[in-house]
Amino acid sequence: MFYARYVLRELSRRRVRTLLTVAGLGLGVALVITISGLSRGLDRAQRTALDPLSGIGTDLTVTRGVQTDNKGFGGGGPGGGGSFRDVIQSNQSVLTDLSKLGKPGQHFVHDFFLPGTQLTFPTSQGATVSKLSGVAASAQGLLLIAEHQEGVVPKIVAKFKTGGQTFRVRRTITPLTPAEQQALQKCLEKNGATFGQAPQQQQGRPQGQDGFGGGGGNGSGRRGFFRGAFQKCLSARLRTFIGTFRTPQQTLQQVLDPPQTNIKTTPYTIGGVDQTQPGIGLLTPKQVTKGRYFSVAGGREALVATSYASRQKLKVGSSLDLNGTTFTVIGLVSPPLGGQTADVYLPLKKLQALAHQPGVANVVFVRADKSSSVSRVKSEIAQQLQGAQVATAQDVADRVTGSLVDAANLTHNLGLVLEIIVAAAAFLMAALLTLSSVGKRVRELGTLKAIGWTQRLVVRQVVSESVAQGALGGAVGILLGVVAAIIIGAAGPTLTASSTTGSSSNLLGSAAARTAHETLSLHAPLSVLVVALGLVLALAGGLVAGAAGGLRAARLRPAEAMRRVE
Amino acid sequence: MNEPLFELEGVSRFYRRGESIVRAVDGIDLTIGAGEFVALEGPSGSGKTTLLQLLGTLDRPDAGTIVFEGRPLHTLDDRALAGLRLNAFGFVFQQFNLIPTLTALENVQAALAPHGVRGHALDERAGALLEEVGLAARVDHLPTHLSGGEQQRVAIARALANEPRVILADEPTGNLDTKTGADVIDLLAGLGERHGTTIVVATHDATLAARAPRRVAMRDGAVVQPEMAV
Repeated sequence: MFYARYVLRELSRRRVRTLLTVAGLGLGVALVITISGLSRGLDRAQRTALDPLSGIGTDLTVTRGVQTDNKGFGGGGPGGGGSFRDVIQSNQSVLTDLSKLGKPGQHFVHDFFLPGTQLTFPTSQGATVSKLSGVAASAQGLLLIAEHQEGVVPKIVAKFKTGGQTFRVRRTITPLTPAEQQALQKCLEKNGATFGQAPQQQQGRPQGQDGFGGGGGNGSGRRGFFRGAFQKCLSARLRTFIGTFRTPQQTLQQVLDPPQTNIKTTPYTIGGVDQTQPGIGLLTPKQVTKGRYFSVAGGREALVATSYASRQKLKVGSSLDLNGTTFTVIGLVSPPLGGQTADVYLPLKKLQALAHQPGVANVVFVRADKSSSVSRVKSEIAQQLQGAQVATAQDVADRVTGSLVDAANLTHNLGLVLEIIVAAAAFLMAALLTLSSVGKRVRELGTLKAIGWTQRLVVRQVVSESVAQGALGGAVGILLGVVAAIIIGAAGPTLTASSTTGSSSNLLGSAAARTAHETLSLHAPLSVLVVALGLVLALAGGLVAGAAGGLRAARLRPAEAMRRVE
Repeated sequence: MNEPLFELEGVSRFYRRGESIVRAVDGIDLTIGAGEFVALEGPSGSGKTTLLQLLGTLDRPDAGTIVFEGRPLHTLDDRALAGLRLNAFGFVFQQFNLIPTLTALENVQAALAPHGVRGHALDERAGALLEEVGLAARVDHLPTHLSGGEQQRVAIARALANEPRVILADEPTGNLDTKTGADVIDLLAGLGERHGTTIVVATHDATLAARAPRRVAMRDGAVVQPEMAV
C-alpha cells in the first residue's frame, strides 16, 4: 500500500530524526517500565519484610520491658519486677569474672546469655494469656542476647613496695601538778633526797621555784644518789610517755594496667521455641528453608538463621557447642524481620537450662480467634498484665527501617510522579521533533495538498509516521526495559531492612536492644501488563506527537506553501 | 475560442506587507478556453504566480469571481476544492516540489493513490506516465539522483497522473538550461495536444512565451498588452 510505503520511506530516509524520536520515546518507555518493575520489586520485598507476624501465625506479641516501678506483669518472679535493678540482676551473668573461667593462661570458650531489656517472667504468668476471651492460641518463647567469648584467661599481677619512711613527732609535756610535786617531794624525802636539803649557795631561793629535777646535790657523791631517788619517784606518766605516741595514717595507692588478653567476643541472639506448638511461636515450620523443624520431643536440636549460618559457615548437620552441650543443626530458617527473631533457635526448655533461667520466658505470641478481636484482645492483655508491651503486626511493621523502607517510601511517593514526568518528557520530545519535522516539511505537505490530497489524508500521513515511530520507540523501550530488568536482577542491588526489638537501656548500652537485619536483593519483575503499558504509552506518545504535528499540517494553506516554494 | 474553462471577472488578491498593501492581482478579467495553451508572461512580481494559484484553487481571491467549468469557485468549500485539485488540475512548479524521500515512481504514485489506485495498477500507471515523459529508466531514482530536467519531467508525469483537464505550470523552465527548458515546453505542448489538456504556463522568458499559441502579458498585477509586459 502506497501510504504505508510512504511512512516507511519517511522513517528510513530521515534516519536522524527517526532515531532521535525513537530513542527519546524508547528511553521514556524504558524508564517507565524500569521504574514500574522496580516499584513491583520493592512491593514484593516489602511484603516479605514488612509482614513479619503473619508467617508465624501471630496477631500479637506480648513482652515485658523496663518500667519505672516494679509492679505489674512479671513482678516477684524470676527475673525481677521490671525496674532498672531487675535489668542489672537479669543480666549479671554478662559481667565476666575472669577467675571463674579457669586458671591464668588456660584457653576458655563460654557463652553468656542475658535477656537484655526484654525482661523475663514466669511461664505460668505468660500462660494466663491463653485463658483470655478472644485468644485462639498462644505460645511462649525466650529470646536472649548471647555473648560467645573465647580466649585465654589472663594473669593479673600487682606489685607494692613500702617502708623506708622517717617520722618525727614533737610533743609538749604537761608540767607536774601540785599533787604530783607533793608526791615526788614526799618520795624523795623518803629516799633521803628532799628539796629541803638543797646546797648552801641555793638558800633563800623560793621553794616554789625549785623545778622538776631542780634538787641538784652537793658535790658529785650526792648528785648520783639524788638521780637514783628521782628516777624512782618520777610520776608514771612521765616515765612512759615515749611509748604512747601515734604515727600519722597513710594510704598507698597504685594504678594497675588491665591485663592483655586475646578474649574474642562474638555477639548473637538465641531463641527458645516452644516446639510443642509448631503453628504459633518464635518460629514455625513455615520459616524452615532447608532441613526440618524441631521434633515434638525437643532434643539437642538447633535451627539456625540463614544469614547467621552463612556467616558462621554452618549447615544442616553441623554441630553447635554451647557451654559443653552439643546441639545438631537440623535446619536453616529465614525468620521474619521485625518480629522476635534470633540467629540460633533451640527448644525452649533446652535454652532455659542452658541460660540457667528455668521456667521463664520473655515473649508470648498470641493469635486472636478472628481479626476483628485483635484490638480487644490487646486491651485485655494490657489490662490483665499491667506493664506488658503488646504489639500488633502493624506496630512491628512500623519498626522496620532501612534502605528498603526508604526506597519503598521513595517509590510510593515519587514513583508515579517520576513515571509521569518521564512519560511526559518523552511525549514532549516526540511532539517537538514531529512539530519541527512538520515545520521543515511545509513545502512537501503543501505540495501534497496541491496535487489533491485532502486535509484528512495529510493529517493521517503525519499521524501514521508519528505512531510508527511510537511503535518503534515502544519496541526499543520494551527491549531496553527488559534488559534493564535483567541487569538489575543480575547485579542484585541489595536493600536492607532493620528492626530493633527491646529498648536500648543506659544500663546495658545498645547491646541490650536486639536489632535484626534482613538484606534483600532487589529485582525489577516485569509483567505483561507493564510491558503492554509501555507499548501503549509509546503509541500514545506517537499519537500525541502526531496529533500535534497533524494539527499544524491541517492549518497549512496550499497557497502559503506555494508562496514558500517561491 | 473553445468553450470557456475559466471565466475571471474583477479578480483581485491583496497582501499586507507591513503597513502597505500589495495588490498582487488587481481586477483581472480573463477567459481561458478548454484545450488552450496559454502563456502568462511578465517580470517577477507581476502577479503571474498569484493568478496561477487563484486559477488552481490554491488560494481564494479577495475580490471578483472565478468560474471554472461553469461553477463559481467561491461557493466551494475546502474539501470540494481539494477534490477539484485532485481531479481537474495538475501542477508543475519551478522547483519541481518532488517528495525527497520517494523515488520517481513513488512521486507519481503519490498523485494516483488518493484516487484509490492500488497494487499492481498503481505501479503500472505510474510507470507508464514516466515512460511517456521519457524517464522509464529512472523510475527507482530518488529526486536527488536526478538532474533538474529529469526532476521536472517527473513533476510533469505527476501532474498528468490524474488526467487533469488543466495543467498549471509555474515557471517550469526557471531552473533549467535553455535547451532543457525548451524540451519541457515542447513536452507540455505535446501532452496538451495529445490529451486535450488546457495548459497555462507562467514564465518571465518571452522566448518561451512566444512558443505558446496565446500570450497573456501581466504587469503590476494587471493584464496588459504583450508589448507592455516587458
